[in-house]
Order: sequence, then C-alpha cells, then structure tokens
Amino acid sequence: MIESTEQALGPTWNLQRCMADLILDAGSAESFGGDPRAFGAGRGLQKADQEALEKFKSQLLVYRDLARTALEDPLPDCFPITHALLEQADLWEGCLDAFLASRTIQSPYYRDVNPSFVAWLANSIWGQERWPFLLELAHFEYIEVEILRWPDEAPAMDLKAAPAGDSQVVFDGATRNLAYHFRVHEATKQDPEPASGETFLLGYRDSEGDFIYSELSAHASAFLARCLEGAAVGKAASGLGLELDDVLDLLIGLREKGALLGFR
Amino acid sequence: MNPFTGVGVGLRRPHLEKVAALDSTPVPFWEIAPENVVGQGGSRHRQVMKILERDPVITHGLSMSIGGFDAWDRDALANLKGFLKETRSPWHSEHLCWTSFGGATTHELLPMPFTRDAVRHTVERAKRVQAELPVPFLFENVSYYACLGAPEMSEKQFLEEVLEGADCGWLLDINNVYVNSRNHGFDPREWLEGMPLDRVQQMHIAGHAWFEAEQLIIDTHGAPVIDPVIELMQWVLPRIGRPVPVLLERDNEIPELDVLLAERASLQKAYDAALAPVLSGNHD
Ligand SMILES: [Fe+2]
Repeated sequence: MIESTEQALGPTWNLQRCMADLILDAGSAESFGGDPRAFGAGRGLQKADQEALEKFKSQLLVYRDLARTALEDPLPDCFPITHALLEQADLWEGCLDAFLASRTIQSPYYRDVNPSFVAWLANSIWGQERWPFLLELAHFEYIEVEILRWPDEAPAMDLKAAPAGDSQVVFDGATRNLAYHFRVHEATKQDPEPASGETFLLGYRDSEGDFIYSELSAHASAFLARCLEGAAVGKAASGLGLELDDVLDLLIGLREKGALLGFR
Repeated sequence: MNPFTGVGVGLRRPHLEKVAALDSTPVPFWEIAPENVVGQGGSRHRQVMKILERDPVITHGLSMSIGGFDAWDRDALANLKGFLKETRSPWHSEHLCWTSFGGATTHELLPMPFTRDAVRHTVERAKRVQAELPVPFLFENVSYYACLGAPEMSEKQFLEEVLEGADCGWLLDINNVYVNSRNHGFDPREWLEGMPLDRVQQMHIAGHAWFEAEQLIIDTHGAPVIDPVIELMQWVLPRIGRPVPVLLERDNEIPELDVLLAERASLQKAYDAALAPVLSGNHD
C-alpha cells in the first residue's frame, strides 16, 4: 500500500518529473533525444535547467538504458519461456518499454517486479492480443517463483495423517490450485507456444522446498477448490458426485508429496 | 571484539548454500539489503536466516528514494524496522538519490539536482527517516552520470550540506568518488580533502566498467576492484583515522565464493597496511 504522493510542486519535483518521463515513457528516447530543451520546457523547467538537459543529453539517456538493464535480469529469470517467445518474435524490448511506460512497478521490493509484470499483462493487449495464451504462460512461470519463496508458516499442531469424511484439509500456504485454458506446463524455451486445452494443476513445495506440480482432473481440481474454501472432505466430494474412497486416495497421495500438511 | 571493522562482503544469492553450510563466518561481517529478505520464505530464505543468525550483518537499503517525493510504504517501513532490530545491524544506509516518482519505481539510483531546494528537501526527508529508524542512518554518495538541471553548487558541496543539515553519518563509497572523478574530471583526493570525514561510519569499495559508446565509467559492481580505487581507500583510511568497516560490493558477474573471498583477503591486507601507522600511533 502506497500513501498518496505528496504534493510538493517545486523545482526539484519538476526536475524529477521530467527525468521520470524521460526514463519511463515509451517515446521519450526520440522526443527527448530530438530536442531536450523543448522536452524540459513542456514540463515547466526554467531556461537554465533546459540548457542543462541539452548539455547532459547523452548521459541522461544512459539512465533510460540503465532502468531497462535493471529489468533484464529479474524478468528473463522468472519468465524464461515468455522471454524466449517474445525474443524470437523480436518483441521483447517493445514489451519491456510498454511495461515500464505503464508505471505499474510500484513496490519497493525488487522481487515484486515479477508479479507486477503478470498483473500488467492481465490488463494490457500484450497479455492476449497476439498470443491468447501469453498471460497464462507468464502466470504459470511466476507461480513457480512465488511458491518457492512463499513465507514459511509455523508448523500446524494436532494434524491427522489420514483423512476421513468429516476431515478438513490443511494445505501448505505455498500450495496453489491452478486452472488454465492452455497446456502451459508443457511449453519450453524451444517450443514456447502451448497447445490449447483445459488444464488443472496443483503447484506446491516438496519436502526439500523445491517446486513441483501435479496435473489434476477437472473433478479433482474442483474438489480441492472446495477443500481450500474449508469444506469437509465428504461434503466436497458428494457435492461433485465423487466417490469418497477416490478423494481419500487423492488426498493421501498429495499429503505424501508435501502439498498438504494434514487433516483436522 | 567489534566485528564491524575490516573488510566485509555483500551476501549474494549464488553463495548462500555454501556460506550457510560453513561452521563459522568467513568474513568479519556481511552486508545485506533488507528488501531482499523480509517477507520471504522457502529453502533459500532459511539459508539466509541461518547466516544472519550466526554472523554479524550490516544492512543497506535500496529503495527508500529519500531524495524523492513519494510517501513511504508504511508496511515496508514497519518490516524494515523489525528487520533492523532482528539482525542487530549497527546502522542502516541508503543512497543519496531518488528512485521513484509519482508512485512508479525505477529501481535506478537517479541523480539529485545540486540545488538549495534539493538540499532543503533531502535534509527534511532524511530527518524523517532518522526519526523512524531504530538505528543511526547513513547516507551513501552515489555515482552520477549527469547533472539533473542547472547546478547551483558542486556535488561535493551538495553532499556536505545534506550530511551536515541532516546531521547523519556517511557511507563513503570510495569507488563512486573515483568513478565521478573520472566521469566529471576532478582529482578524487582534492575532492575528499575538506569533506567531513568524521561522519564516515562505513565505506564501500567495488569494481566498475568503461562503456565506450557512452564514454562513461558505469558503477556496475561487476568486476574486481582496480588498483587506483584500492590506493584511494588506503589514502583516505588514515585521514579518517579509525578502522571503519569497508564493504566489498559485487552484484553482477558474481564469481565463485572462493574467488570473492580471495579478493576480500587482499583488500584486507591493503586495509591493514593503510591503518597500521594510525593504530600503532594510538598505542603510543
Ligand atoms: Fe555503494
């Protein structure tokens, strides 16, 4: 949560606004590079400051590059396949420019650049226009990172190892029940375009803390969604017309893998 | 013994597993950015916390944008305060720069205008930070590649006025002094002379790179420290006259832990040699 920006219009504020526009806005390399004085004048700068923009034109443009370089590490690390896809189409830089220009990187935490990118894709033509799967692909790539570093919880006490019809399932906080319209988990850097197809995945951390996922049936996914909402196992199963024995087996298997902490 | 002396190293992700597995600390102290630790979990986080519980640590912040205008995220500030207490960091430092505007963060260290208005603004913001933090606050001098707007004073005067006005400590980044001296054409020793060295609580030392197309040295933290920077550290240490901790920064092209520790060891030798006359003088 960010408090509203302080209103402190003055020469320092004006200069910073000008530089923020130069760094973040999509067409600024051309408009600033073409006429730094006019760029400054349009943003309320005094004549002496406009002249300084002219004098330090190339050095000021270096900051624009540096802000892009700062994203060149975290984004391809977190989104290797999305990055490969855009890079192959020669669109990565344009995507980065549009992302920066959206000014949606707002958190003081560097790591939040990644979820900001997914949130931006969800609201931008980049997420769906050219490739309808892009948002889902990026989301699944981000989920791995989120699961890997989700804050640890204090170990839950008094949990049962075996479920019964009246049990409630206790999930690990890092576990995510995921549904996609594309086979996002099958995409690779070499073949980054996933086929379309309803896909249900459960992502979680194993006992070593590594990311792992299991593919689920639509029924199993719906059942786990009800369990995540707090429904008792038997009620969640009968509501979906599932056999209790089948869902108990599913839960026992997921507990052994580390997706569930136990039963209450 | 005060652990906050000698040459420490920035704790970096590729080294976590090795460092956590050691029986004892291989450095006098580590430096770490709280923003990269708080609110995290998982196996890598547990390695960090194991190291921080075992070894002395100094914190160094990246994103408060103290020279900027955006209000501080209250949750992030509360997390920072908790982290400073938990790690028993002797102080907390931030760069004398701005990083965000209008709520948008650039994650870049952007230059302050060298003006009276900017001094007044930065001093006021620094005082507010100091009042919030449970430990003393230090400002770090940055590398700057351009003047933002027409300067009313030199960078040196700007830094001095902010440090004095805010009455805060100084994290002297000796590589940044060197980089600025090359990019802007001044003598770094002359620059340091007359600066308030009594405010220096910590130093940074790092490598940099020359960018031909831009005709600039950029503060990349991606290469070993060069000799002229080591010599500058050796020149200033006796003038500070106290064994202030020096931190080796390495953020890019991060080498194997052994290589980084070997660089630390050779910097420690240079550090000890520079301070030997001062410290033996103290015993007389
Ligand atoms: Fe530094």
